[in-house]
Amino acid sequence: MLVLVFFTVRLTGDPVGLMVARNATPEQREAFRVAHGFDRPLAEQFIGYLGNALGGDLGKSLRLHLPNAELIMQRLPATMELALAALLLSLVIAVPLGIISGVFPGSPLDLLARLIGLAGQTIPSFWLAMILILVFAVNLRLFPTFGRDSLEHLVLPAVALSVASMGQMVRLLRSAVLEVSRENYIRTARSKGLSEIVITLRHVTPNALIPLVSVVGVNFTYMLGGSVYIETIFAWPGLGTLLNDAINDSDFPLVQAITIFIAAFAIGLNLLTDIAYDLIDPRARQR
Amino acid sequence: MRNRSCVFLFIVFLIVPLVPVRGQPSGELVIALPNDPTGIYIGNASDVTAISATRPLYDGLVVYGADGSIQPGLAESWDISEDGRTYTFHLREGVKFHNGEDFNAHAVSTIWEYGMTPTNQWLSYYDSVASAGDIVVIDDYTVEITTSEPDAFFLSEMANGWFAIPPAYLAEVGLEAFEAAPVGTGPFMLENWAPGDRIVMRAFADYWNPEQPKVERLTFRIIPDATTRMAAIQTGEVDIVTRLNTDDVALLEFNPDVKIVSYPNDRVYYVAFKNIGNGAGTPLEDKLVRQALNLAVDREGLVAALFSGYGQTVSGFVIPSNLGFDPSLQPYPHDPQRARELLAEAGYPEGFAIGMSCPADAYTNINEVCLSVQRDLDGIGVDVDLEFKTTNAFWSEAHYATTGPMYVDSWSSPNGEAFWRLEGSLTPGYYYSTWTDPVIVDYLGQIAQAVDREERAALYAELSHYMYDDPPYIYLYVLNLFEATTKRVTGYQPLPNETFYLNEVGVGG
Repeated sequence: MLVLVFFTVRLTGDPVGLMVARNATPEQREAFRVAHGFDRPLAEQFIGYLGNALGGDLGKSLRLHLPNAELIMQRLPATMELALAALLLSLVIAVPLGIISGVFPGSPLDLLARLIGLAGQTIPSFWLAMILILVFAVNLRLFPTFGRDSLEHLVLPAVALSVASMGQMVRLLRSAVLEVSRENYIRTARSKGLSEIVITLRHVTPNALIPLVSVVGVNFTYMLGGSVYIETIFAWPGLGTLLNDAINDSDFPLVQAITIFIAAFAIGLNLLTDIAYDLIDPRARQR
Repeated sequence: MRNRSCVFLFIVFLIVPLVPVRGQPSGELVIALPNDPTGIYIGNASDVTAISATRPLYDGLVVYGADGSIQPGLAESWDISEDGRTYTFHLREGVKFHNGEDFNAHAVSTIWEYGMTPTNQWLSYYDSVASAGDIVVIDDYTVEITTSEPDAFFLSEMANGWFAIPPAYLAEVGLEAFEAAPVGTGPFMLENWAPGDRIVMRAFADYWNPEQPKVERLTFRIIPDATTRMAAIQTGEVDIVTRLNTDDVALLEFNPDVKIVSYPNDRVYYVAFKNIGNGAGTPLEDKLVRQALNLAVDREGLVAALFSGYGQTVSGFVIPSNLGFDPSLQPYPHDPQRARELLAEAGYPEGFAIGMSCPADAYTNINEVCLSVQRDLDGIGVDVDLEFKTTNAFWSEAHYATTGPMYVDSWSSPNGEAFWRLEGSLTPGYYYSTWTDPVIVDYLGQIAQAVDREERAALYAELSHYMYDDPPYIYLYVLNLFEATTKRVTGYQPLPNETFYLNEVGVGG
């Protein structure tokens, strides 16, 4: 990961051309290169960078002249707020819809669920974001277009960010419910004369929800990453817009710092997901 | 006693809002910015967005008028010595900084000397004015600045980049704290800066001009996405959006809540030739060939087809809005027949093959412009091998050395004079300057020292004729820029240098 980020950002161009005024003298350019270590061989730059990153030092932004860690922490709350809201929204809609659609396959609600599943996985979220703005902000004037001022401002970006994960969750839950319904213990429960509601709530749902746990973890990471363009479209002042600016300005240290931060966050989250999985599903512990 | 004064204050507070005060600022003006400024401290502001957004906090000794001429700012007037080196500024009296500190000759001198100290690399201004020299305080409201040599652009550079900041406050809090909470004498004072989100300012009650500003609150919102900016102006969430393209204009044109403001941008688009590096020894060294290439391009057709006519063809680097423009020079006509004759005369009756580089997606429709030039040159037998480069790669030093020997580029020159465009692209030694002509260099040297405006105008006109006859470029076009405001905005006029002047802007209704 570190290797990939380090070398890809350096393929995108020379930071000196962007950070130094166009009429700067060759001496000023060289001074900038030396000051930021860009004159050293790539391998040497990489080793220095690796050492700092492992020591928790994420470096300093070229453009904003501030420590990258400070910049990330400044923007993190906004991104977390958006990602959590989107995750919550997808859960609130996907869980009941997925279960109902699995329990009543072929019903109108099932059709709706399958439609959401399909739409979520096929509609690009940046396109959806623009459509949401045009319809709900410009034409209907129901929600604000951009920014992060009040709860109202959260609605459109959260919807845009949640749809992909919502679709995936609905599909997953639907197939899990269908699968669990065919299990022998469900047949046993039914033969004992339990009502369908009790069967669904006590036996089907808990078992069908298990695979969802890992998906929630993965999707949350995806949302942190996916927030780059959603945040940019809705002018949401989070990590995504910070990364977008950093890429546009070839602010290498900041791009590296944000990517590493998100990667580290993803690894931590995956670990938590695995632990949670173990706690919920006894079968996982026995392996 | 205490109670009595409380009652008195209470009554004052009751009455004050009822008394109409002339020029009282009111309302909130919201402006969309396309990207997050690098900082709000003018000394570090390097990008146009940062300069635009921080400008309302500060005043300079002199300012630009709408026509590009130099107008009084914190200096009410100034005299220039005979030898063109000494400027005596007569400062405005009774001006205060936002923190209450007095603005006077001592403040100017302290800040000037602080900025001139090489270890204080804090005001980019001092780097850009090579001639910046000594300052002498004559009395409380008079300072004298002497430049090392006559500098035609000293006042321009002052208007561009020198702003008064309070020396006592700076000394007290230090530079880092000052950068986070900057103070000036400008019409607005900083209230809040949330990076990536907004900059909020409010009217400075003790501003030296009691008629300004017109709005009580000034808010810049950072909206990176162009589609979102377009949506926000339609809903009225922002009052001013900049950098619209012609599609945006078409969309907003019929919106009853929105006004479109159009103005010509001082950025000339051109095809550059090289006569150094890999350009040496090519047919481009022949003046007739370069004239032929100029005649081969259908500029009118290009502006009509690619920019819906929202642009003008140009005859050179000095454009109609620039000092010293000569209207007798008309853009090269589209005359492929004459172009072929010139090529034959130069010894290339069958044409030749040559490489051309294009900064992909760097400007509106630039890729199509490159293709269109390629097709036009093909029409006179010049076979252009076109290469597209991403912007970072295109404007790198290595690329300028190896590219071409023809490439498409553009250069702005925002202060009503073409000097910066000419000097930047035609001075030997700059890596992005790929055409060397001693005659042009000589003219530029004369212009740089011609403190008298009329004298400069005459030099520009002469140089234009020379560069028309012996063209170092295929001159293409300048474009109109568009901005949109909500209907309630009054007194707003975009400046060709793409920054904001907001002292006179109000919001009605």
